[in-house]
Amino acid sequence: MKLSDREQDGVVILEPKGKIMGGPDASLLHDKLYEYIEHDKKQVIVDLSQVDWMNSTGLGILISGYTTLKNSGGELKLANVTDKIQSLLTITKLVTVFDAYDSIEDAIQSFR
Amino acid sequence: MDVNLLIVVIEFLAGGFLLFLGITVARDNLGNRLNRVAGAMFIAAGLAPLSLGLAGLTVLTGTTPLTGDDLLTRLAVVWEFFFPLLLVFSWLFPVDRLRHFRYPAMRTFVYFPALIHVVVVVLFTDVSPFLAFLTAAVANEGFLSIILSPLVQLLTQLLLLFNWIAENHIPIFTAINALYAATAMYYLEAGYRFISNPLVKRQTQLVIWGIRLGLIGYFGAWALELVWDASLATVGVNVLWFIGLAGMVGFVGYALFRHQFLDVQLVFRQSLIFTITSAVLVGLYLAIGMRLTDWLVPLIGQGAQVLGWVLLVILLLLFQPINSWIDNIIQLLFMRTRSDHRSIIERFSRQIITQFDPRALRETIEETLKTSLLVEDVYFVLFDDTVSEYAVLPGDGVPRRRVLDRSDLMLRAINLLDQPTPYATLTAYGRDSSLADFFNERRVKLILPLKDSKHLLGCLALTGKAAGYTYSAEDINLLGVLANQMVTALTNARLYAESLERLRLQEEISMARQIQLDLLPRRPPDWPTLSISAFSAPSRTVGGDFYDFIPVPSRNRLGIVIADASGKGMPAALLIAQIQAILRAEVNNGNPISRILCNMNQQINESTSSEKYVTLFYGEFDPAGGQFHYANAGHNYPIVVRRDGRVEWLEQGGPIIGAFGGMQYTEAEVALTEDDLIFFFTDGLSEAMNSAGEEFGEQRLADMLITLRDRDPKSILAAVLADVKKHDSSSPPQDDTTVIALKRCADGTMSVATG
Repeated sequence: MKLSDREQDGVVILEPKGKIMGGPDASLLHDKLYEYIEHDKKQVIVDLSQVDWMNSTGLGILISGYTTLKNSGGELKLANVTDKIQSLLTITKLVTVFDAYDSIEDAIQSFR
Repeated sequence: MDVNLLIVVIEFLAGGFLLFLGITVARDNLGNRLNRVAGAMFIAAGLAPLSLGLAGLTVLTGTTPLTGDDLLTRLAVVWEFFFPLLLVFSWLFPVDRLRHFRYPAMRTFVYFPALIHVVVVVLFTDVSPFLAFLTAAVANEGFLSIILSPLVQLLTQLLLLFNWIAENHIPIFTAINALYAATAMYYLEAGYRFISNPLVKRQTQLVIWGIRLGLIGYFGAWALELVWDASLATVGVNVLWFIGLAGMVGFVGYALFRHQFLDVQLVFRQSLIFTITSAVLVGLYLAIGMRLTDWLVPLIGQGAQVLGWVLLVILLLLFQPINSWIDNIIQLLFMRTRSDHRSIIERFSRQIITQFDPRALRETIEETLKTSLLVEDVYFVLFDDTVSEYAVLPGDGVPRRRVLDRSDLMLRAINLLDQPTPYATLTAYGRDSSLADFFNERRVKLILPLKDSKHLLGCLALTGKAAGYTYSAEDINLLGVLANQMVTALTNARLYAESLERLRLQEEISMARQIQLDLLPRRPPDWPTLSISAFSAPSRTVGGDFYDFIPVPSRNRLGIVIADASGKGMPAALLIAQIQAILRAEVNNGNPISRILCNMNQQINESTSSEKYVTLFYGEFDPAGGQFHYANAGHNYPIVVRRDGRVEWLEQGGPIIGAFGGMQYTEAEVALTEDDLIFFFTDGLSEAMNSAGEEFGEQRLADMLITLRDRDPKSILAAVLADVKKHDSSSPPQDDTTVIALKRCADGTMSVATG
């Protein structure tokens, strides 16, 4: 997984690319999140458009990111969820937990 | 045997030994102040019993009765230089204090009282000739006498003072000597506490005891003579003298031979041979000289006496080169340094080759350096695998490991070394280096880099040698060789420890695997109207998949669970074990299915971090009505294939277990009629990937089950697994895979099969 990050309209947008799996990916995302939380940036959108696969550990990383933000008073939302990940969220019934949007703009709007 | 003769013999032997010891110590290294001082000290000590022996001998033979006023007896006080020498020795050994002495003049000044003693006793015991001369000088009337008169007055007074001192020299100087001895003992004992090398500690203790006994003998005898009548005290005095002499000679001698004190054992042997040969040579020359004189007398009369002496001097001049030639031969015969070092290397490699325990290995290395080279302290800086950093390892005076920063400048400087290097040349790299601070604090003198072909394993930091000796070029060569052996031994020990650790881990994992296998049902339960087949295979030794069959007596149902923990291997296996324990407890409590999952989610969520979760499906089959009650906690939907080929997915329930707290689960039910099939699986099956990156897929699985639905569970399972294997032939499989096939049979029939 490669991770780039940017800010748009005061919202942090994380753009993972490739496969989200265990190992270094976890600390990569975690460290980035903590960096933003420290600067009091707690509205985060994870753009999943370029993620082609996610295993159970990868899902764990998203969950932990969601919990971390929530515990510090922020929120993590998903955007551009691919079919594959949508089905994963459906099976695990996490669709009820994660807010997922079809586009970044929609996701940003939801923070307003 | 005459007791007096025995005493004389003992006195001569002790004196001879001390004299010889002094010469040997001094000869070992004349360039070293410690050797010079120690040598002079032992020689002075030897003069005491020698002069006593000489006095005793004259009494025995009755040739010249010594009255105590003769020159020989008076000269004997020269031995009292022993006391200032002892004091200076205590300033040098075992800790060199002179280098940082505040009053350097003191080391010369301390000899003055002994010098005055000798001068006064030798010159001013009888002052009458001087007084007569002075009286004569003043008596000479004239101009000079007027000027000289006050001077003569002064000189006379001085002479009388000296004479008084000479007459009372024994109490005066014995008191001074006692003061010296007490101070010296104070410094010796204080220095003794600084020694950390156990060998040097033992040696020093012996030397201190020797000196202590010598002093007790001397002062004791003197005190006895003072208190008691001389004739009564004689026996006691002799006994005390004997204790003093025997104690001093015995302890110091034992320290020398037993512990190679000052590394002189070999030099000692050498000196013995050297002295004997020299004595024989001198005897020979003297004999030749005498015979020559005898031979010349008839020829040239009395003048021959003078000529004989001249010849003797010439011969003695010749003696010097021959003497050094003998010295060389003896050196060559003993090959002291080389043979010593060779034996150290041999002994060392023998000891370390069988040493695989790193701690014991370090102890062996330390022991060798301390005993063979008399290194005071040894510190180990080694790469520590447990923290993947270099660290100063615990040892003498280092209570706990000190982990070093990888960028430590001193560490990087050591990395550039390839031979033993004096620490003083590395001080430029000491800035902001905690390692350099440590070295400075411990007075490290020499750095021994330990390098294999590529990497720096670490280094040994050595403090100075015992008693302030410096490292010779030979020592440094030897240390270079030893360092190479240490590198081999340390590498071996590390590899050995690693292989042991691997073995232990493997054992633990296979134990865990056994535990996990024992947790899985050995075979599906015999349950009326149900035919069940199950299979589970971890992708590693242990896995995160799990299934179980749990009888629910309170509801007369059969519970079936299939679960998959996030991640793989040991962490997943531990999570699964917890899930199983909670599930069994909850079922036994008789809780409804939705409550069971709710409680389980809460417990796992509270006891693990949020990224650890489990997808789990739990259902209960009620044989009475053929109902299957279930709740699906984020698990892959089990597939129901009806007898007529219709497919249903068991989706109802709630989110995955353990990720979020406070989740609710709903219970659903599905009615099973005869020949209806439920197929449970984990994502290891549905997501099995071929080399093109295509997953096996749930739809394909469902389609396959439709065609297989007439078969019995065991055969269905086998067919599915075979097809999946064809799809993904990687071995071992990429993910843990678990499948259960369950089929309702006709009432009254019972079918059981195991995967």
